[in-house]
Formats: sequence, C-alpha cells, structure tokens
Amino acid sequence: MRFQVNRDIFSEAVSFAVKLLPQRTTLPILSGVLIETADGGLRLSSFDYEVSAQTTIEAEVEEEGVVLVSGRLLAEIASRLPNAPVRFTTDEGKIAVACGSAHFTLLSMPVEEYPSLPHVTGRSGSVGGEEFATAVSQVAVAASRDDVTPVITGVQLEIGDDALSLIATDRYRVAIRSIPWQNESDSADPVSALVPARTLSEIGKTFGHSGTISVAISTGEDRELIAFSAETRTVTSLLIKGNFPPVRRLFPDTVDNYAVMNTGELIEATRRVSLVLEREAALRFTFTPDGLTLEAIGSEQAQAQETVDAFLTGPETVVSLKPQFLLDGLSAVHSEFVRISFTKTDNPNKPGPVLITSQSSKDQPGTDDYRYLLQPNLLLR
Amino acid sequence: MSKQDGRGRQVTTEEVDDPAASILHVDLDAFFASVELLDRPELRERPVIVAHEGPRSVVTAANYVARRYAVNSAMPLAVALRRCPGAVVLAPHYERYERYSREVMDMLRDVTPLVEPLSVDEAFLDVAGARTLFGSPWRIATALRERVLAHTGLTISVGVASTKFVAKLASSRAKPDGLLVVPAADTLAFLHPLPISALWGVGASTEARLRSLGLSTIGDVAQTPLDVLVGWIGPAGGRKLHDLAHGRDPRPVTTTRFEKSIGNERTYGEDIVGEEAVHRELLRLSHRVGSRLRAAGLVGRTVSLKFRLPDFTTYTRSRTLAEPTDSAHRIYAEMRDLYAQLRGTTDRVRLLGVRAEQLSVAGGGAPALWDDDAAWRDAEQALDALAERFGAGAVRPAALLDPAAERPRRWIEDWHRG
Repeated sequence: MRFQVNRDIFSEAVSFAVKLLPQRTTLPILSGVLIETADGGLRLSSFDYEVSAQTTIEAEVEEEGVVLVSGRLLAEIASRLPNAPVRFTTDEGKIAVACGSAHFTLLSMPVEEYPSLPHVTGRSGSVGGEEFATAVSQVAVAASRDDVTPVITGVQLEIGDDALSLIATDRYRVAIRSIPWQNESDSADPVSALVPARTLSEIGKTFGHSGTISVAISTGEDRELIAFSAETRTVTSLLIKGNFPPVRRLFPDTVDNYAVMNTGELIEATRRVSLVLEREAALRFTFTPDGLTLEAIGSEQAQAQETVDAFLTGPETVVSLKPQFLLDGLSAVHSEFVRISFTKTDNPNKPGPVLITSQSSKDQPGTDDYRYLLQPNLLLR
Repeated sequence: MSKQDGRGRQVTTEEVDDPAASILHVDLDAFFASVELLDRPELRERPVIVAHEGPRSVVTAANYVARRYAVNSAMPLAVALRRCPGAVVLAPHYERYERYSREVMDMLRDVTPLVEPLSVDEAFLDVAGARTLFGSPWRIATALRERVLAHTGLTISVGVASTKFVAKLASSRAKPDGLLVVPAADTLAFLHPLPISALWGVGASTEARLRSLGLSTIGDVAQTPLDVLVGWIGPAGGRKLHDLAHGRDPRPVTTTRFEKSIGNERTYGEDIVGEEAVHRELLRLSHRVGSRLRAAGLVGRTVSLKFRLPDFTTYTRSRTLAEPTDSAHRIYAEMRDLYAQLRGTTDRVRLLGVRAEQLSVAGGGAPALWDDDAAWRDAEQALDALAERFGAGAVRPAALLDPAAERPRRWIEDWHRG
C-alpha cells in the first residue's frame, strides 16, 4: 500500500477516528485505526464493539491496500507532523510514514482479526447539527457518572413525529430538551434510544459544525445500535439496555411561585459565595421581593453572603441547593435571564424540586423548551 | 461472650476509691444459659448448654459448670457433648434474651446516660459524672450488681478501671458474679503478668508471632521498644499494642457506637435444595436485616450474599447500590440477583447470609428526586409498627408463612362458628 495525503486532512481524520476509543481496551487490535484505500481515497475506521467511527478522505493512492496501526500513537504523530504532504508506504508488516524530513516506522497489527464495523438500518431522520450539539451539551450534564446504575449514565433520545427529545438524570436533577426532527423513514412510530452520555457528548462536539446530522436507530435485534452521520463521517454506538426511569412526570404542570434573575449575575455570585463551602455542602438561597440572598453557612472557618436582584412572583421562598448542580443548570439555559420556579410538595421530609428555565428578558420566557429540574436539600435550620 | 471457666478469678471486696478509675465494664455472666436457668433452677449445678437441636448445631451458650469441661460457645454441639456427655441441652429463646438485655441496659442508664452497649450482654459506662449522686465507682458497681440480681435473678460481673481496655480485662478476671477495681496507680501491676492474648487486637497469628519472638506476657510487650514492635507487626498494630501494654487507651465511652455492618446468616440443619427454597430463605433473612436496619435508623449502600455449599466452599458476592437502602424488599431483590449469578455451582446450600454494609444514618445526605423503594419502605414501616405491638413475625410475607402452623385456617373456622 502506498499513498500521499494532505497533512491537515489526515491529522483531522485520525483524530476523529481515535477520539471515541477508550483509554484501555481488552484486545490490543481494538486500539488500532484501520486505514484502507477506497474509491480513489482513504477510509479510516475504529471500532471497539461499543462505538465505531468511520470517515473517508481524499488522497493520492499509488497502490491499493489496508493496514491496522495503533490509533493513539498515529494520532499524536499526525498532529505533530511538519506542514508537508504525508507519505505512507507499507513493507512486510512495517509502515513507513514520511513527512518533510521526518520519518517514522510503525508496526502493523493483524488486519485479518479486526472486526467488521456494524451497519445500522432502521428508523431514520435528521436534525440540525448546531441545534443538536447545543441540546446535547445542555442535557448530558445531568447524566449520572456512577456506573452502579448504567441506565442513567445514558441520555435518553425519544423520537416522535417531528421532534427529538433528549433527557438525562442522575436522580438529583433531570435535564430535558426537544429539537425539530425531520423524519426520513416510512414509519413514524415513536422510538427511543439510550446512548452513553460520554459518547453522545463527543458526537455533539464532532458534528456540531455540520449542517445536518443523519440519525438511524436499529432496535429490536440482539444488538441495538444508533448511527450518527454527517458529510463523510459516521459514528455508531451500542445502546444501553434497560428502561429509563419515567422522569417526565416529575415536572410540574404549572408553577405560580417563581423568581427571575440575570443569569450571569447569579452564576458569578454562586461561584463567589460557594468558595467558602466544604465539599458536597449546599448554599442557602432566600428569595424575597427585595432580591435573592445567597448564604454559605455551616462551615466554621468561613462564611459568605451576597445579594443579587430578583423579580419574585408568589410568596417568599428559601431553598438549599448544591452550587455545582445549580451552576450546571444556569450554564445550560443560554439566555440572559433565568427563571427558577418552586414546586409544591406534600412530603415534609423532602422539599419540592426547583425548575430552571430560560428567560429572554425579565418578563419574557425563553424561546427554547429546555427544562432543568433540581432536587433541593433539606433545610438544616 | 466470655470464655472464662470461672477459675482463678480476682475480685475486690472492700471499697476502693480512685476518682481516676471511672470506667465500668458490665458483663452478664453466661447470659443465655443464665436466662434459661431462671426457669429451670434445678439444673443450676449441672452442665447446661444452650443450642438448637440438629445434626449441625453449634453451642450458643454454656453455663460455668459446662465450661469446666472445655465447652465453649460456637463449638459444634456434637463436640461439646463428647466433652461433656452429661450436659443438659436447652433450646434458645432469643426474644427473652433481648427483653432481659433491655431491662439490664435500662438499669445501667439509670446510673448515667454514658452507656455504650457492646452486645446484648456487655456494656461500658463512664460514671465520672455520677459520683456526687451515687458515690464512688465501687459503690455504683456494687449497687448495680445487687439491683440487677434482685430485679432479674441474673448475676453480672463488673470491671472498674481508668480505661476501657483495662475495665474489660478486670471484669473477665472477676467472672462469674464478681467485681474487680483496678485503681489507675495499679494498672501496670495488674496488666503486666497477663498473657499477651489478653491484649485487644492480638489474634492467634499475632500471638504466635510474638511468642516465637520470646514474648509471653503483656509486661514483655511493654518492655519492647516501640520501633522494634513496629518492625515486627507493622506501624498501626505496633503502636496500638505498645499503648495498650502501657495502660494507655484513649477511647472514650460513646453512646452512639456506629455499626459497620448488619447481617443475618443461618446454617441449615439439612441442606436446602432448589431455587424456590433458597429464595424463601433469602426473603426471610432480608426481612431480618431490613427490620434491624430500620430499628437502628441506618441504611446500607452495599449488600452482600454469603453462600456456602455442602462441601464448605463459600462464596461471597456483594453489590453497591445507587442509593443506600433499609428496605427488605430491595435487599431481597439484590440477593436474588446475586444468587442468580452463583447458580449453576450447585442446587444444595448449607449456609446463607445476607448483610448490609457501608452503613450511614437514614435520611442523611442529599435527597434524590425519586425513591424507588418508597412504596415498600412504607409497607415495611407498617410491619415494624405491628411487630412492636404484637411481636416479631406477627405479620410477614405470605411466602414466609409456616404451612404447618395452619393458624389462619383455624382462625377462619372460629370466625365461621361465630
């Protein structure tokens, strides 16, 4: 096999292919990137049985062939090559990479043992790239990172007639958002897919600049898969098995007790006041017609307090919130103002959850339907 | 429970008053056996063993007469009866032990709120603050011994010292039915002639190690330089033994002793066979663990299953939950899962154990938006309330009803007869 390729195009393609590979794999060949000559160019693939990535790029192919090479090593080399065409030649299990005056020799791994990449057919459609990337970043933050409960380490995608909903939770908060969905298959039956949050976040970042992303889901077979593709790139992921908890019903239908604040001001104040907090401790938020007071109490070494403007509707309210959980929600609303609504509860041992939504001005609710529901801690005094 | 045979005891008969020695260790003498003998006074002078009848039964308790035949608790009953063929075997009555235990603990709490129960039959007390009310620790201990005997018919032994470790040693030297005061100034004289096995934290292997190095008494340990001890048995263990051997034990008497785990296990007289029977036993054990967790106000984040085959191969499997639980239903669900993973090893089981670990106080920590166990927890709290009024087992899962008892049917017949 022999080819010559543009340095930037090659580096970008290798980096895309290895990005989703785990740090450690059980089988060494799964840490490789498969490079094949195809259709007068190159096809680069990676697959570890969980996720696969594939892309095609242009190249001057002089001799057809296929080679499997350590992904991370090749990605690091490619990113540091000088600005000159990259030449690849293989010779009896060795790969020579030449670029300008730099020369590398890499060992080829056995191509015959490499698994074939999955092909996904099923319910399909498309979403806007940027909108999808934004929605993923807003929702995935609420997914659990605790492997004890695999089901909630995923983001639940629910496809309806003309909308794709993304939902994630870690039991302490729930984030949810819908974006327009262009159906492209014969069936319009609702379908859902639970995608690992880490993988989905990478997909969001990778495809965020693409105009549209095609999505296909195959369910009901023994391997349930989802595929995302845009331009020349495709990523597939195994779906997480199990039933996502029915979290939609946790959201209140209507709330008449809420406050509107400037998002940036509230983020800054929360970060400042929580400096004195011990790990895992909560901040106390007192909402009154005169404003919102943030207090860090409970630590003997230091206390802090700050007041920000707030427009309160309904009675005065006090809640105790973990600052990081609040900041995750505030950073996700992407609007100048934010509304925090207080839901009622009958349970004396558990405060009602607070709902965070976007607000384009102090009187005008935001245009997206992003919702972030957060469980406050018990008030200690 | 103590393994003293009642010989070579040491007691204090006259009032000694050392304000520095204010820690009491109270130990009920041969507790289970003594409770059984309350009903059978004619057996007092005979060797008595408390144990379930069964081919694999172990000794739950033995009175001092039986202990003279080297009968100890946890010994297989068959071995015990070989050593002491004349022993009378009585079946245990745990609810009675619990009732007597509570009664005695309440009497201790009448003296001071600083009571730290170690088990059903042992507790530490710090009586430093009770002097003005009740007099010297010797007086308090003497009065307690009289009061417990008068109200329950049971005898207790009491050790009085300036530290928990020495107080516990003193009570074991005073057993049975004795009182030993070790004034702070006499601590080392009391401690040093004792064998190293009397030191807390010295198990069989450490003892063998120290003996092989020529140490046999606590005094020998005390004379060994700290760095030498540390070199022999490691920094943590070495420092601890060094301190104890010098009579230093800084642990205060604490009323909230935190359990590390709560578990129940059972060895079956006959192997249990088949999935259905194992599930039923797991359900029974899960309910015991659940109600003990709820009674203690604790929740466990990890649950574990212990599973022993007839050939004594033992498996332990545990699972960490997303959120700590005290629900028997949840524990049982996890146990079934863990058991499913072990199946295929065999369908015969000799021992099953269910345990909750990584305990924390219920209601602590941040609440979650929803609680998967909520409905069951409510039901189980209702069970707890009924058990409190009508006794343990008054209401239980249908799978755990004893088919031989037939009580429900008789009740229905009575009802029909009017």
